[in-house]
Amino acid sequence: MYKKLSNLGFVIGIFFIIISLILIIGGLISSALSYKLNFYTGFTFLLFGILMVFFNRNNDQQEEN
Amino acid sequence: MNLHIADYLIIIVYFLFVIGVGFIIKKKIKTSNDFLTSGRNIPLWITSLAFISANLGAQEVLGMVASGAKYGIMTVHFYWVGAIFAMIFLGVFMMPFYYGSRARSVPEFLKLRFDEKTRGLNAISFAVMTIFSSGISLFALAKLLEVILHWDFDVSIWLAAGIVMIYTFLGGLTSAVYNEVLQFFLIVLGLSPLVIVALHDAGGWSNIKTLLQPEMTHAWKYMGHADSNPMGINFMSLIFGLGFVMSFGYWCTDFLVVQRAMMAKNMNAARRTPIIAAIPKMFMPLIVVLPGVIAITLMQPALASKGFSIPSDGKGGLDYTMTLPALISHYYPTGLLGVGITALIASFMSGMAGNVTAFNSVFTFDIYQSYFVKNRSDKHYLIVGKMATVAGILFSIMTAYIATGFNNINDFLQLVFSFVNGPLFATFLLGMFWKRTTGHGAFWGLLAGTLAAAATHGLTLAEGKGGWIYPLYEIHSGMGQAFIVASVSWIVNFCTTIIVSLFTKPKPESELKGLVYSLTEKPSYRQNKWYLKVVPLAIILIVATLILNFIFF
Repeated sequence: MYKKLSNLGFVIGIFFIIISLILIIGGLISSALSYKLNFYTGFTFLLFGILMVFFNRNNDQQEEN
Repeated sequence: MNLHIADYLIIIVYFLFVIGVGFIIKKKIKTSNDFLTSGRNIPLWITSLAFISANLGAQEVLGMVASGAKYGIMTVHFYWVGAIFAMIFLGVFMMPFYYGSRARSVPEFLKLRFDEKTRGLNAISFAVMTIFSSGISLFALAKLLEVILHWDFDVSIWLAAGIVMIYTFLGGLTSAVYNEVLQFFLIVLGLSPLVIVALHDAGGWSNIKTLLQPEMTHAWKYMGHADSNPMGINFMSLIFGLGFVMSFGYWCTDFLVVQRAMMAKNMNAARRTPIIAAIPKMFMPLIVVLPGVIAITLMQPALASKGFSIPSDGKGGLDYTMTLPALISHYYPTGLLGVGITALIASFMSGMAGNVTAFNSVFTFDIYQSYFVKNRSDKHYLIVGKMATVAGILFSIMTAYIATGFNNINDFLQLVFSFVNGPLFATFLLGMFWKRTTGHGAFWGLLAGTLAAAATHGLTLAEGKGGWIYPLYEIHSGMGQAFIVASVSWIVNFCTTIIVSLFTKPKPESELKGLVYSLTEKPSYRQNKWYLKVVPLAIILIVATLILNFIFF
């Protein structure tokens, strides 16, 4: 786990996933956050976060091989 | 501007992550080199993004949006004239010397190439500049949060400084650089929705061109004469002052940015760092210049119904510095507002951490180890590096409070930058490409260049600034004055260094190998693919930059 956490791409991916969840889930449960712009941005951040985590997982596997 | 609990949550998550990065990196820190230079073990994509992030501080983000609103699309010159070419030059010609010499800092390189006194002059002036710059960043952050969010000024200063101190103290340069990359993505992704929404609201680029004066939407067309463009300078001053002296002086010699390339794993990665960094740098105007141009368009009578305005400065003009916060406040709803505010905070903290980590390296290696305590254990210098980090933060806080008592301290800082950085590139250019350049020549050239900068500022007047010796010559804009000051200082340094060098004894050639172009073996990477080579990448970037200049001509 420490190895993953010391991988910057993984950390950045997790950060953007958390921010996207705040925007998306917040928008679903609270009228104060229910704006189209929050949803669009949230999904973009989610996609970016997943890609960062995914690509860095592949990099880790390549380094191990 | 009022924040909702979700906005605060996003800010708190950001703070937790930057501190968390510090704790993660702490385990890797074993020696003073790990702490102060990252042990030259950082991947290329991180060094490249850190290279431009170190320059993506608050002055850059807020300042360029403000300039976009004030001067229009001409502000792109700071990127397409004043950055890309210098970054390419650094990668192609100068990194082999910085990296190959194994110097740990730019002042240390000056010691290897010239002598101790030239290093001392550069190290002390750089250390003072970084502390001032860091303090101004802190002051500006606290002031901005006080104005737009009504946060307490003292709490903002101590909170921001405390967070930067935790992660730089724990993880040193690596921690600062990792956070700079996180901050880079946050700034770019956090401000992108603003550009898209505001551009759509303004009716797209074609409508902007229709509504604004033509000189606001052309980069070069109105540069023939200083009177015909909002920046008040002609193309010759721009190309020599910004495109050569200031740009090369900053990107090729400022340790704050060069330090990021010096952390790379090998010579090829070090050379490619500024070149790879130039790619996102080329497109940064979309994030930091375009919003300013959009903002001023939204204030045109035809778009009055949009209800956007840049706040007044209280003297009948516009407070352009508030352009970006005003756009964020106008377009971002709760939630995204937290992202926008966090991006602004990130840019301030990034600027501050970059300065503090450059300060602790220069203080430890070039001042403490060189002049005070030599030949001690590595552990001793690691502790000194950590203490220098704490001291740097405390001095920054002190500077931030001093700044509250002066209206024009930021102008003063910019002036000091142009005095110190302006002439410096002449020293490096001659030192790296003319083996006859001597230590005495470099020292007296630097000193004469700095004094010439001060004298030029004292004899010219622009927007009420300067002219403190005698207002001999009036210049249209403060920016034009900065270009002229830098140009004069560069020429004086260049000539003085040559003259003094011709009358003093140079170092023997055997001591200059790896430090001077003609005496250094050229790196060859024949086995690499073209996209891994420095020169083909540089040529592609130059062509792309020229095309962008033609498109927005």
